[in-house]
Amino acid sequence: MCRYVLISYGHNALSSDSMKQMLIDLAGDGAVYGHFGATGGYALAARRAMHEFGTGPETWKQIAMGQRKWANLNPDAMMHDKPMTEEDYDNARWIVEPLRLPDNCLITDGGRAIIVTSLERARDLKQPPAVIMGMGQHNPSTDVAQSDWMAGPTGARKSGEIAFAMAGITLDDVDACQIYDCFTFTVEITLQDYGFFQPGEGHDWLRGGTIEPGGRMPVNTSGGLLSEAYFMGLTPLAEGAMQIMGRCGKRQLGPETRTKSPEIILCSDNGGILQSHSSTLLRRL
Amino acid sequence: MTSPLKDKYAIVGVGYTPQGRVPGRTSLSFHLEASTQAIQDAGLDKNEVDGFICYRHFPPASDENDLTPNAIAQHLGISPIYMSQDAN
Repeated sequence: MCRYVLISYGHNALSSDSMKQMLIDLAGDGAVYGHFGATGGYALAARRAMHEFGTGPETWKQIAMGQRKWANLNPDAMMHDKPMTEEDYDNARWIVEPLRLPDNCLITDGGRAIIVTSLERARDLKQPPAVIMGMGQHNPSTDVAQSDWMAGPTGARKSGEIAFAMAGITLDDVDACQIYDCFTFTVEITLQDYGFFQPGEGHDWLRGGTIEPGGRMPVNTSGGLLSEAYFMGLTPLAEGAMQIMGRCGKRQLGPETRTKSPEIILCSDNGGILQSHSSTLLRRL
Repeated sequence: MTSPLKDKYAIVGVGYTPQGRVPGRTSLSFHLEASTQAIQDAGLDKNEVDGFICYRHFPPASDENDLTPNAIAQHLGISPIYMSQDAN
């Protein structure tokens, strides 16, 4: 048994040739058809979702812009000084249709780490603890091209059910979300599979600034992977903990941002092309 | 379903590093800085850390070795009883 567990991530992704290495290493048979990398895979899933439940760039734009507003409040965010207008989004270049540049996460030099310990030990430490009340994982597929769930439900469905059952709460108890957002579409399909809205109703659910500062369900309050920095699932999980601890300065949930003071925050991570999923529910002590 | 894990554990420290375009640094150096900051943030001595998990990661740059939890722990000067590399 361990007493204090350190979890860390570090990558010189922006300044080294590592991401190019990844494209080469991970290129499979699809490469001969021009299919490389994560954007291609997520674009396939997003296109399928457009067909099946009528989502699209008008929905994803609200996610990209909403998260950017949070980044504009976070001095550490890579996009802190770069507001995003609708025109900015509409005029951005395609990376792989239907995903534009602002639908893609950032590439970042940097690192992030967290410490986990027992609640009993946590009470004696410096920071107010972000208590883990629920956890769930579900890993439904190995290859998006062979899956029968390309437009959902992804692993978020069962992973979320497990985490909420463990915590003994429902979606109504969640004050904010930190959702793994490798792409804007990932945020939509994850929130949808968690049950925040029915398939295709994301556009209406997001409308009016739902996830933004002042909104009723803040999402990715650091700016997330799209607008803060890319440290895998540690970007959302660390932000969830910092918000619960009340250490987020100008972007702090509560009166500062005209949002609910967070008692419970739902965090997610997913890997591959929507192939593995992890959910964590954090609460204030 | 009741779980004995509910409300038993907590996140108690977070470590940040400079982020964005930060040239001239290895991935290892970011692991070390983030880890050191997190340990300090929690108010721990590094020797109290007895579990170490590396988050899932991308392939290394062509001029760097792939990182392992053991290599990072060595550079941190800690010897955890449990180490793991998260995959995918």
